Amino acid sequence: MASLFRAYGRGLGALLLAIAALWILALILVPLGAMIEQSLWWKDSKGEITLQIDRLYNDMATLQLDASGESDAAKKAGFEAQIAQKQAEATALEAQETNPPKTYGLANFTRMSGLHFYIFIRTIIYALMVTALALVVCYPMAYAVALASGPRKAIVLTVALIVPYAINELLRVYAWLMILDYRGVINGILGWLGMVDLDNRGWIPFLENPSAVFLAMIYTYVLFMVFPMVNTLETLDRNQIEAARDLGASSFRIHRRVIIPHAKPGIAVGCIMTFMLSAGSYSVPAIMTRGQGGDWFSQLVYRQFFESNNWNMGSAYAVSLLVVCTAFILIMMRLFGVGLRDIAK
Amino acid sequence: MSTANDSAGARLILNIYIGLFCLYLFLPLAVMSAAAFNSYDYPSVTQWRGFTLQWFVALAHDGRLIQGLINSVAVALGVIAVSIPAGLAGALILTRLGQRSGTVLYSVLVSPVLTPGIILGISSLIFWREFGVPGGLFVAVMAQSSFIASYAMLLFLARLQRQDRTLEEAALDLGASHMLVFRRITLPFLAPTAFTAAVVAFLQSFENYNTTVFAIGGEWTLVTEIASRLRFGLSPVINVVGVIFVALTLVAATTYVLLSSRKKAR
Repeated sequence: MASLFRAYGRGLGALLLAIAALWILALILVPLGAMIEQSLWWKDSKGEITLQIDRLYNDMATLQLDASGESDAAKKAGFEAQIAQKQAEATALEAQETNPPKTYGLANFTRMSGLHFYIFIRTIIYALMVTALALVVCYPMAYAVALASGPRKAIVLTVALIVPYAINELLRVYAWLMILDYRGVINGILGWLGMVDLDNRGWIPFLENPSAVFLAMIYTYVLFMVFPMVNTLETLDRNQIEAARDLGASSFRIHRRVIIPHAKPGIAVGCIMTFMLSAGSYSVPAIMTRGQGGDWFSQLVYRQFFESNNWNMGSAYAVSLLVVCTAFILIMMRLFGVGLRDIAK
Repeated sequence: MSTANDSAGARLILNIYIGLFCLYLFLPLAVMSAAAFNSYDYPSVTQWRGFTLQWFVALAHDGRLIQGLINSVAVALGVIAVSIPAGLAGALILTRLGQRSGTVLYSVLVSPVLTPGIILGISSLIFWREFGVPGGLFVAVMAQSSFIASYAMLLFLARLQRQDRTLEEAALDLGASHMLVFRRITLPFLAPTAFTAAVVAFLQSFENYNTTVFAIGGEWTLVTEIASRLRFGLSPVINVVGVIFVALTLVAATTYVLLSSRKKAR
């Protein structure tokens, strides 16, 4: 802290600190805290209270009827007292109905229905599968780019990788939607070949299969896997590979013993980014399935917020997702022995 | 392609693989672009009804998409305005901090990059509602800035690692004020990075969907508008938007390659 003021002076140093503090508080920590807080309370459902109020008014109407048919003054007063008491109860409940009290607890987490919990687990498994597939698909590519010889080749390959990335994520998903849709490109070609009958809805429903989401997701997040690996592989001394080869190691063995160990931090970072992005992706499953394939957890979160209008439950779902992602990051960091500074390169 | 001692067979397989990989990357974009010129009201390349530019005209008359574009640009500019100063401040502080306190601060400032986008959107939405600000363009700016500022900070940090601090110290010894040193030495040194960071921030903001969709409320950006239309079906107008993006990206990438190769030649 002292060296900051020494370098930039009191005024400027304080300004920098203020800006950073504002960023941390207003954009990162307090919003996160607000979300967690929101997930920890709920207001009792209005339906029950409304029912109680209705019942009280029914009782009052019956009592009213009894009272008006009653000639005995004492009994009549008794009825009237009962009516007044019920009215007071109803008024209190009505106040609760418009502004139910907050109750704190973990119920938002434990109340997750069986189906939603199943989708939660399935999303995690799907995200792990996407990550593993992306790793397998991207490793040869990263190897080729990192060890490409001519500088021109490296430029071309880098551009070839960056150009698709620079195009909107949504539009990349859209391109796949077009290809895999009922009347999409693949079904169109199959129709040409006479293998499916488009006129009678005899198309193959690719989009109803989870692998359609996988395909688009790997396509969308491929670069987050490739780049970290390229970064680490570029620092590999090629003499190591040649030495291993001269000593008679097979290609497979060289990859297993020389290249992959060197690429470890890159693999870890690529897996962390891909898992985080795919587990939390709303765009890809929402657009690819359009409600016709299996839901991903992010879609449930969205619905809790904007269709059920239950922000507390939605926050609890979001917190659950965050916990899983954080756990995955910590496990990967431990397994691969990488620090936070390696991740953010 | 690869190391000199690779066998020809292995090299061939690798080259075929790279070819397939590039096909995987580019074919969908090519298909999407081609369908934008098809005179058929469902985006398709297999049902070719003749070349047309009618969807470009349709896009030009599409008020909501145009407004979405304007909103997207406005949000992106807002994100630049918030995240560049924040990222700069964070980076300058971090380079002057000791190892231990630095690591804690670093973890906090980098954490948004590792947080799923929907969570950033949700937490901003909830946070700003406490102040009576409903979801909208402003909340979208705040939600996006939380992680884009981290990207900006990482860029500044990388640049600051190559900084020669003796320059600043010499200027201070010669009696320059802190403000003057900052303005005349530190800022000019960081200016190219600030430009890069602004471009990155703009692109990140412009294409962001997962965070924005939660924070945007009743308003819309180009991307959220496209997404909500896709629920009801595909339209070649969306393909036209895609073509424009592809064209702009290609132009930008080519310019970049040409510029950097010229720089190298010099």
